[in-house]
Amino acid sequence: MSAHISFHDVEVTYPGGLKALKGVTLDVPRGEFVVIVGLSGAGKSTLIRTVNNLVVPSRGDVTIDGASVTRAQGTALRQMRSDIGMIFQTFNLVKRSSVLRNVLAGRLGDVHPLRGLLGLFPRADVAYAHDCLSRVGIPEKAFARADALSGGQQQRVGIARALAQKPSIMLADEPVASLDPPTSHAVLRDLKRITREEALTTLVNLHFIDMAREYADRIIGMRDGLIVFDGSADQATDQAFEDIYGRPIDESKDLRGAS
Amino acid sequence: MTTAPIPPTPAHVVRTRWLLGIGLVLLLALAVLALVTMNLPTWSRVQSGLARNLVPLLRGFVNPAWHVFELASTSMLETMFMAVIGTTIAGVIAFPLSFLAAGNLLGNARFALPGKGLLVGVRTFPEILLAIIFVAAAGPGPTAGIMAMGIHSIGFLGKIFSDVIEGIDAGPNEAIRAAGGNALHVFLFSVVPQVLPEFASSLLYRFEINLRAAAVLGLVGAGGIGLPLIQRLQFRRWDEVSMFLVVIVTFIIVVDTLSSSVRRRLV
Amino acid sequence: MALPDPNTVPLRPGFASRLLNWSTWVVLVGLFVVSLQQTGFDVEALTSGSQDFVRFFRRLVPDWTALPQIWRPLLETLQIAYLATLLGTLLGLPLIFLASYNTTVNGPVMWVARSVLTVLRSIPDLLYAAILAPILAPGPLPGVVALTIFTMAVLAKLASETVESIDPGPLEALRAVGAGRNRVIVYAVLPQIAATMTSFVLYIFEINVRASVVIGYVGAGGVGFLLLRYLNFFDWGGVAALIVVIFAVVLLIDLLSVWARSRLI
Repeated sequence: MSAHISFHDVEVTYPGGLKALKGVTLDVPRGEFVVIVGLSGAGKSTLIRTVNNLVVPSRGDVTIDGASVTRAQGTALRQMRSDIGMIFQTFNLVKRSSVLRNVLAGRLGDVHPLRGLLGLFPRADVAYAHDCLSRVGIPEKAFARADALSGGQQQRVGIARALAQKPSIMLADEPVASLDPPTSHAVLRDLKRITREEALTTLVNLHFIDMAREYADRIIGMRDGLIVFDGSADQATDQAFEDIYGRPIDESKDLRGAS
Repeated sequence: MTTAPIPPTPAHVVRTRWLLGIGLVLLLALAVLALVTMNLPTWSRVQSGLARNLVPLLRGFVNPAWHVFELASTSMLETMFMAVIGTTIAGVIAFPLSFLAAGNLLGNARFALPGKGLLVGVRTFPEILLAIIFVAAAGPGPTAGIMAMGIHSIGFLGKIFSDVIEGIDAGPNEAIRAAGGNALHVFLFSVVPQVLPEFASSLLYRFEINLRAAAVLGLVGAGGIGLPLIQRLQFRRWDEVSMFLVVIVTFIIVVDTLSSSVRRRLV
Repeated sequence: MALPDPNTVPLRPGFASRLLNWSTWVVLVGLFVVSLQQTGFDVEALTSGSQDFVRFFRRLVPDWTALPQIWRPLLETLQIAYLATLLGTLLGLPLIFLASYNTTVNGPVMWVARSVLTVLRSIPDLLYAAILAPILAPGPLPGVVALTIFTMAVLAKLASETVESIDPGPLEALRAVGAGRNRVIVYAVLPQIAATMTSFVLYIFEINVRASVVIGYVGAGGVGFLLLRYLNFFDWGGVAALIVVIFAVVLLIDLLSVWARSRLI
C-alpha cells in the first residue's frame, strides 16, 4: 500500500543559515497516528509545517498520495491545504469572533469565494459546524466569544475547525503544551478518538514521553534536524528516549539544569 | 450525509445582527441622502471642466517648471521657519499650562477641568479659520500664520502634555517623598525627567503637522509657500504648480523621516 | 560579582555625548533665531499693534440675522465631511492591506502602496481642495474628492501599525485551512482590528469636519465660501456669527466623537 504522506530527503534551511531539517526521509501510511518527539529546536514544528507547505523545504519534496505539496502553488496549494487540518499550540482562534464562526472558517477552503467573503455559508455547512462542535463535546458554546473559553475548550474548537474541513490528514503542533496535565490528556483522548472515527492520518508533536507512549501507534524521535528513532510505542524504551533527548530521563536526576 | 437540525440562534446574537444591519443601512441612507441633496454639478459640467483642465494639468504635472525651483525652495524654507517659531512658542506656553490641566498633579481630577476645557476650546477652532481672522486683523504675512499656528498648537500640545503627565509612574514620586523631598523635589527629579522625552517627541510630531499647516496657511494669505502657490493655481500655471508640489512633498517627506527617527530614539 | 570600583568608573556622561547634547541645543536655538529673522516675526509689532488688534476684535459682534444664510452651507459642510469619511474609508481599506507586510500580495506591491500613501499623506487637505477646485468646477465636488483622498492617506497612516501588530496565529491557521488572502483578511484580520478602526474613522470624521469648514474659502463647498464673502464685504457681524456657529458645531462633533470612541474601547 503506497504511503499517504511521504518525505523525500527534505532539508530546510532558514534565512540566516539555521538548518532546521537536515535530510528527512519518511513514509506515513494511511490512518496512522504518529507522534513526533524531541527537544525544542529539534525540527518537529518545521517538519510538520512542510506537510501543508507553511514552511517550504529548501531541498527535497513532500508528497501526499504521490502529488507534490512542495511544488504546489496558488489554487492547487489551497485545495491541498483544505484537505489537511491543523491545530496549534496557541490555538490560533480569532479571539473576538464567536466559536461557531471560528469553526466555520474551516470551510473557507471549499466554499464559494463570494459566499466565503460575505460570511453566508450554506445551511449544510452551518449544520456540519454545529455537528463538529458536538463531536468535540462543546455544542453549547457555539455562540460564545472564542476568548471566553478555557484553554482546553479553545483547543477543542481548534479541533472542530480542523474537522470542519473534512480533511484526510490531521497535523497537531504541540497541541497540549499550553494546557495542564488532566486537560492535556482529555484533549489527546478526543483527538485520538476523532482521528480513529474519521480514519485520519495524524502527525502530532509532543513534549511528554508518557503521552507519546500512551497515544501513539508510531513514535518518531528527532534530534538536531534528523530522525534518530522510528518505531512503535513498545519499542520506545527509556534508553531510546535518552538517545533522542541526549540526556538521562531518570526521574531521580534533575532535568532542569544542563546535563 | 443528512443535514442535522441547526440549533436556534440565541437572542443576543440575533439582536446584535439586527443592530449591525440597521446601522449599515442608516450609514448608506445618509450617504445617499447627502448625495441627492448636495449641490453637485451635473455630469456634463464635470466633463467639460475636466476636458478643459485635465490635459493641461497632466501635461504640467509631468513637466515641472524648473525656473520656479528657487522661489519654491525659499518659500518652503520660510514656511519651515514659520512652523519652527509657531511650534516653539506653543511648546513654551503649553508646558506650564499642561500642568494645570493634569489631574494627578493638582490633587483632584476635578481641578483640572477648567484647564482641560480651555485647551479643548483652543483646539476645536480650525486653525485655518484662526489664520483667516488674524489676516483680517493684522494684515497678511507670516505673522498672522505663526500666531494662528501657535495658538492652535497650544491646545494640541497642552492636551498631549497633560495626558503624558497623567500617565507617569507614581512610584518615583513616592520614593522621593520617602527620602525626605518636598513637592518641588518631586517635580524636578521625578515628574520632569519622566515627561521630557515624551514632550520632546510630541513637540516634533506637532512640528510635522505644523509644517503641513504652514504650507497651507499661505492659501488664505498668512505667509509661507501657500501665497505664491495660490496665485499660480488661479492662473492655472500647472507646470509651476507641479514644481511647487514636488518641492513641498519632498520637503515634508524628508522632515517626516528625520523627525520619525529622532522620535524613535527619544522614547 | 563585586561592585565596580568607584574610582575607575566615570560618573559623568562621556565627552562625546555631552558634546552631542550641547550641539543639539546650539542648533535648535540657532534655528529659532534664524527663523525669527527670516520671517520677520516682529514681537514688538505685535505688542504695539495690540491696540489695533483689540479694536478689531471689538467689531466682531455676532449679527444673528445672518443665521438663515448659514444653515444650508453648514449642512453642505457636514455632508462633505460625511461622504469623504465614508468613501475614504471604503477606498482606503484595500490600500492599507496592500501596504502592510502581513496582508500584502508581494514585496513590490507593498512598496508601491507604501510610496503612494507616503506621497498622498504629504499634501495637506486644503491644498488638495485648492488644486481640485479649478478642475472640477467650484462647489462641493472638489471638496468631497479632496477630503476623500486625504482620508485615505490619514487612515492608512493610523491603521497600518494596527494591522501589522495583530496576532499572526489566526492568520497562519486560516492559511493552513486553505483560505486565500482575501478570506484570511475578512475572517482573521478584520475582527481583530474592527474596534480600533472604527475609533480611527470617527477621529478622521472630526478632522474632516474641521477641514470642510474651511475648504469653501478656496472654492470647494461649505461655509468657507460664506466666510470669504463676508470678509470681502467687511461684514464683521456676519463673520462673527459664522465663527460662533462653526465653533459650536465643531465642538459638538468633537464631543460626540470622543463619547462614541470611549464606548468602543
